[in-house]
Amino acid sequence: MKNFMKVSPLRLLDMSAEKELGHGNLGVLISRAGVGKTACLVHIAFDRIFSGEALVHVSVEETPDKVASYYNVIFFDLIKALELDREDELRLMIERNRMILSYMKGSFSVDRLRQSLVNLKQNLSFVPQTLIIDGLDFEGAPRQLFEQLKELSAEFGTETWLSALSHRHKTEVNDRGIPYPCHQIDDLFDVIVHLAPSTDGIYLRLLKDRDHPISAGAQVRLDPNTFLVMAE
Amino acid sequence: MKEDIEKLRNIGISAHIDSGKTTLTERILYYTKRIGVIHEVKGKDGVGAKMDSMELEKERGITISSAATHCLWKGHRINIIDTPGHVDFTIEVERALRVLDGAILILCAVGGVQSQSITVDRQMRRYGVPRIAFINKCDRFGANPYRVLNQLRERLGMDPVLLQLPIGLEGDFRGVVDLVKMKALYFQGPHGEDIREEEIPDEMLEEASAYREQLLDAATMYSDELAEAVLEGQETEEMIHRALRMGTLARTLTPVLIGSAYKNVGVQPVLDAVNHYLPSPTEIENTALDLDKDEAEVVLKADPGLPVVALAFKLEVTPYGQLTYMRIYQGSIGKGDELVITRNRKKIRVGRIVRMHADEMEDITRGYAGDIVALFGVECNTGDTFTDGSVNYSMSSMHVPEPVISLTVKAKDNKSQENLAKALGRFSREDPTFRTYVDQETGETIISGMGELHLDVYVERMKREYRADVEIGIPQVSYREAITQRAEFNYTHKKQTGGAGQYGRVAGYMEPAKEGAYEFVDSIKGGVIPTEFIPAVDKGFQSCLVKGPLLGYPVLGIRIVINDGQHHPVDSSELAFRQAAIGAFKQAYMKAKPIVLEPIMRVSVECPSEFQGNVMGSINQRRGIILSSAEDGTFTTIEAEVPLAEMFGYATVLRSLTQGKAEFTMEFAKYSKAPESVVEELKKAKSKSQEGRK
Ligand SMILES: Nc1nc2c(ncn2[C@@H]2O[C@H](COP(=O)(O)OP(=O)(O)O)[C@@H](O)[C@H]2O)c(=O)[nH]1
Repeated sequence: MKNFMKVSPLRLLDMSAEKELGHGNLGVLISRAGVGKTACLVHIAFDRIFSGEALVHVSVEETPDKVASYYNVIFFDLIKALELDREDELRLMIERNRMILSYMKGSFSVDRLRQSLVNLKQNLSFVPQTLIIDGLDFEGAPRQLFEQLKELSAEFGTETWLSALSHRHKTEVNDRGIPYPCHQIDDLFDVIVHLAPSTDGIYLRLLKDRDHPISAGAQVRLDPNTFLVMAE
Repeated sequence: MKEDIEKLRNIGISAHIDSGKTTLTERILYYTKRIGVIHEVKGKDGVGAKMDSMELEKERGITISSAATHCLWKGHRINIIDTPGHVDFTIEVERALRVLDGAILILCAVGGVQSQSITVDRQMRRYGVPRIAFINKCDRFGANPYRVLNQLRERLGMDPVLLQLPIGLEGDFRGVVDLVKMKALYFQGPHGEDIREEEIPDEMLEEASAYREQLLDAATMYSDELAEAVLEGQETEEMIHRALRMGTLARTLTPVLIGSAYKNVGVQPVLDAVNHYLPSPTEIENTALDLDKDEAEVVLKADPGLPVVALAFKLEVTPYGQLTYMRIYQGSIGKGDELVITRNRKKIRVGRIVRMHADEMEDITRGYAGDIVALFGVECNTGDTFTDGSVNYSMSSMHVPEPVISLTVKAKDNKSQENLAKALGRFSREDPTFRTYVDQETGETIISGMGELHLDVYVERMKREYRADVEIGIPQVSYREAITQRAEFNYTHKKQTGGAGQYGRVAGYMEPAKEGAYEFVDSIKGGVIPTEFIPAVDKGFQSCLVKGPLLGYPVLGIRIVINDGQHHPVDSSELAFRQAAIGAFKQAYMKAKPIVLEPIMRVSVECPSEFQGNVMGSINQRRGIILSSAEDGTFTTIEAEVPLAEMFGYATVLRSLTQGKAEFTMEFAKYSKAPESVVEELKKAKSKSQEGRK
């Protein structure tokens, strides 16, 4: 699995001051629709799962079957792209270390999520080190929700990654360089990254690294087919 | 007479138990004039609805077998294939799904999409069956078709499109607004046979146009013709039907109708929808395997001029003899034709050929590609492929899962013993997931199948249909064995006692195989084992798989390669090589590190969200692995994989944990390595029972 770790999108964080998001912290991945937010989050998930961590994938408005099928497809591509053996063993790692929680019909709330995490801990002794939250509606969500999520991360000591949808026509950027829809809540996030397509691949760029200055070259180029880091 | 195949429909009606499948079928048969009277389901007149021909089914209120019935509606011929509603009968459901081209999914307007609907739908999806949905029981207290519509979207991930709106609901349910015609429909006459078309009630006009907008939005995705017409306000009913049909066949859109079968409201529009939106046999691709070309896949064409390919999907004993239901995929079958059963190359001559109308039948002289017919007096198994002998095709092998549970049956007297034997013979020919054998060590008769309920039903049938008075044992989980690494063998079988000796040497290796049960590879060079003895070697190995040397369970997933050996010009024989293979197997098996496999079930529990923790705990206690948990505001659905051995009595536990508010379903998922603790228990139990017999 070392091969994968070398080319996982999380390599971007090697260019950050602390080399990781860190437990109890909140990170967000911003991109426009169709660029591959979910694929990128699933890669982050694989990076954590294959290093032996337990992970909860929270999906807002998508069924577990659908989420599981994303993982399967991406896993299959990974196996092919990296010519990995030990397929069965890795599958087992995914099965044992990943829990999918779906919230349909607008049922997502931090309280429900907290209750589920408590249930997982009490009944299964399943304690995730990473929390992935995909599909949350940043436009409609009040600031308070993100504050609660930050508390939740601290409470459970998870590294929490969220995805946020931006739009072509919403061009607002705050004076710290953080774009819509995170421009008014960027103080709540420890790390902010931006995913954007370009002619020679998809770029994952670091926009915020806590209070540390960001170097101009803090980005990785991803293969648009595999989402793996391409050699420069 | 060759009928128009474009106007043929082979459909199934699939439903959660009690959602009204029997009632709807009965109404359909009434409106299509197949029956003259409507009986209440489980009626007091003792006649009951038509599709439930088995007494047992009536008693349990579930439809177990998949009979087929034929009817006519507005120039279309419709074969209704009865699909079992219970998820435990997986093979029955899957076989029915195989022969049908489209389906009506019935939902209860009160109960909505429940976890069983989800399992049944998952199966339909697997077989790529296009479907329309009917929300039944709109007359019941608490009926809410709009909620069910949302559940279709959210729980089944469908793109449902409402074709009708209810006029009144619950006790006040009177009719439907047809959003394609933009008319109100009322169903009158003693059994709703007279449809009165009227203007939409004023107070519903606004709502109706809003929903029609939605319908058009969804339909225009599939037709540029319609999209343009809509822009100009020129859309016709025909255009809308065509577009909806495209979406339905692509399985990305689901037309939704509403009504009350019981109150005779909205049934005829369901038949119209079957004609309009579900596929004809020519629109569905079916494939077979060409056994002469290394099982290459061939696409069958619903063309009566091509060689015959037909599948026997259901056997039934009738007072007139054995009836075999067949779907003709290609060619045509007529009286006096000769057919060949692919499995055993046996030839049969077609005698009587009939079309079934529930329990009455119509003699016909010829059936054509796409149709479903029944033949009398054909000796075959369910699932057999028939051809005219000019091709050697088999309908792609339906995946038959290994049985997961077994129990002993013992006849109480001689007469019962005889009847039991008859019943067992019949059941195993009808249902490949039902198996039976006699345990060589104990002399007990064992039956095995896919779940407790599956076997329950057969035990009931033994008693009722076959009058066999039987005693049954406690259900046992069916374990399996498998090897985990490669091991070599080199075994010489030699015997020199008096007259002719026995001599044979077999060498090679065994290794785990990915798929299937057993694979034998002959890599012998230079005739060191003469070809005529190779089948004996193969048989010798096979005889070892029935009871694995580890704990006596059948062996799965093994590949045996022979690459060396030796024979003797005088002393070698089939028997000698068979013995050599058995010796070789025993020599290598334990070196190949065998393990015990246990059946794992995919379990889905639906409960009010406040019980999520309790349910998770109960699964965890059963060595289950929770895969996911999905909430929708009120309910949580927990998906897990749990060893079957731990699932006995789970219904009771779940009931008490959730105040009876949870429901669960399970289906076989896979065989996995059993943990050490389980293997230890099995070893102990085995040595105990051996001591007991000494
Ligand atoms: N109120 C009401 N009851 C119905 C309706 N359709 C069926 N039922 C009743 O629901 C029960 C189950 O119906 P049945 O047709 O046997 O369902 P199945 O198990 O799906 O075949 C019976 O008591 C029917 O009379 C309906 O449209 N409205």
